Amino acid sequence: MGSSTFTIAGRLMNQLIRDRRTLGLIIIVPLVVMSLIGLSFPDEGILDYIAPAMLAALALFFSFLLTGISFLRERSQGTMERLMASPVSRLDVVFGYLFGFFFFALAQTLIIVLFTIYVFDINFMGEIWQILVFQILVITGSVTLGIFTSTFARNEFQMVQFIPLIILPQMFLSGVLWPVEQMPDYLQWMSAAMPLTYAIDGLRDIMLYGKGLLDVGFELAVLAGFTVVTSVLAALTLRRGAAG
Amino acid sequence: MAQNITNGVAVKADKVSFHFKKLRAIDELSLVVPAGISFGLLGPNGAGKTTLIRLITGLLKPKSGGIDVLGQPPSRKNARLIGYMPQLHSLYAELSVMQNVSFFAKIYGLKNSKQRQQRVEEVTKLVNLWGRRNDSVMNLSGGMKQRASLACAIVHNPPLLLLDEPTVGLDPELRVTFWDYFTSLTQEGTTLIISSHTMDDAAHCDRLGFMRQGKVIAQGTPTELKEATGQPEASLEEAFLHFIHREEGSDG
Ligand SMILES: Nc1ncnc2c1ncn2[C@@H]1O[C@H](COP(=O)(O)OP(=O)(O)OP(=O)(O)O)[C@@H](O)[C@H]1O
Ligand SMILES: [Mg+2]
Repeated sequence: MGSSTFTIAGRLMNQLIRDRRTLGLIIIVPLVVMSLIGLSFPDEGILDYIAPAMLAALALFFSFLLTGISFLRERSQGTMERLMASPVSRLDVVFGYLFGFFFFALAQTLIIVLFTIYVFDINFMGEIWQILVFQILVITGSVTLGIFTSTFARNEFQMVQFIPLIILPQMFLSGVLWPVEQMPDYLQWMSAAMPLTYAIDGLRDIMLYGKGLLDVGFELAVLAGFTVVTSVLAALTLRRGAAG
Repeated sequence: MAQNITNGVAVKADKVSFHFKKLRAIDELSLVVPAGISFGLLGPNGAGKTTLIRLITGLLKPKSGGIDVLGQPPSRKNARLIGYMPQLHSLYAELSVMQNVSFFAKIYGLKNSKQRQQRVEEVTKLVNLWGRRNDSVMNLSGGMKQRASLACAIVHNPPLLLLDEPTVGLDPELRVTFWDYFTSLTQEGTTLIISSHTMDDAAHCDRLGFMRQGKVIAQGTPTELKEATGQPEASLEEAFLHFIHREEGSDG
């Protein structure tokens, strides 16, 4: 990781800043989604329970999709060809994407967290900064998952198919709506293999039970491990000389 | 200085083969490109020009045979020696012309920001896009995109330039400007490998290689190739067709 990492990150930020509509959507869409979800639960107790899960799930969804599509475009518009012929390393590319999207994803998460807490006035314990630190790991893992997944897609149509394959099962099996313990054994096993499960567990511990970051150390470690594995896999698929 | 360590050879391909699945795109191709000249790659669609250029960049690895670029096999370590302009524009559409050029300048290690800005300005003016420097690339005309793409390839002043059909879509005036610039580069010792379909480009090159079905079927200076047809008055176009037909004849 060198100065090229930040060159690539800076370029991604410039791209998003110049694309005003996408920038606006990044902020507005999560608010619309959270409003609809919030209004659909008249019972506040349920909302308190769902809110932490929605924070994690939305972070996963948006970071995954944004990075995945943008990485794919890098290849389809031919700029990846240029990058791979240049002196940048594959880790520069992966970390460049990570940092480039990080601030937008973090800003998005911050908006969602504040909106959920203050507009819907949910009851929560814990502290906002702890929620944010936890979300940082969720975002990081989602960005690297997005990069890794996009290397299996040749075009946008294929990339979009990964949403039902990779995101939807996690939404249903990782305890967003009902507790994992109530699922049949084999589904619990699947759920244990999904990063979102740990994200939701950790955030609920912080927000519902007022636990600190140290108490959710296991969940944090699993998410960190997931990030490392997906970034290494992503970097491996970017081999020079392996271009098609 | 690059010439000293490499005995004046910029690119040397030795019985290189490359295939995409079953399709043989490059077939035991051997080629020596001396340093400091412009070398034109000519050949019909699908002859393997782009594939050969990508092999020289290191984007593709030969399935057999070897390639040396300025004395070493291409790798990330010597990537700075090469400037590569792909056949498609390959630019960031949302970014401005300057942002694109400046990005590649940084990627290729132009660290000092003052020198970098100077160089970015220089090449942007050179490709005649200074007036449009802040426009998003997506709003440029086809030929302008082509020029922006060239600017990105030359910004780091590489000793070897690989240009895949750089003159496509350029108006005649710019074509002349480009060739003046290419010639001045070779005079400074830069090596250019340029693929093209036009005989106008070919006539400008110091040496030419005619490609067909993944092989170089003839190479030499434009004059040598014309003379080889046996008709002193032959044009390059006729020379090209002469060699193609001769090959077809020998295919049986
Ligand atoms: N990514 C790829 N996958 C499969 N086959 C490919 C790929 N790229 C090129 N080919 C095949 O390799 C052969 C050589 O293609 P190449 O692009 O090198 O030709 P070219 O001489 O550059 O042609 P053109 O003048 O049209 O640009 C063609 O038959 C082409 O179909
Ligand atoms: Mg080509």
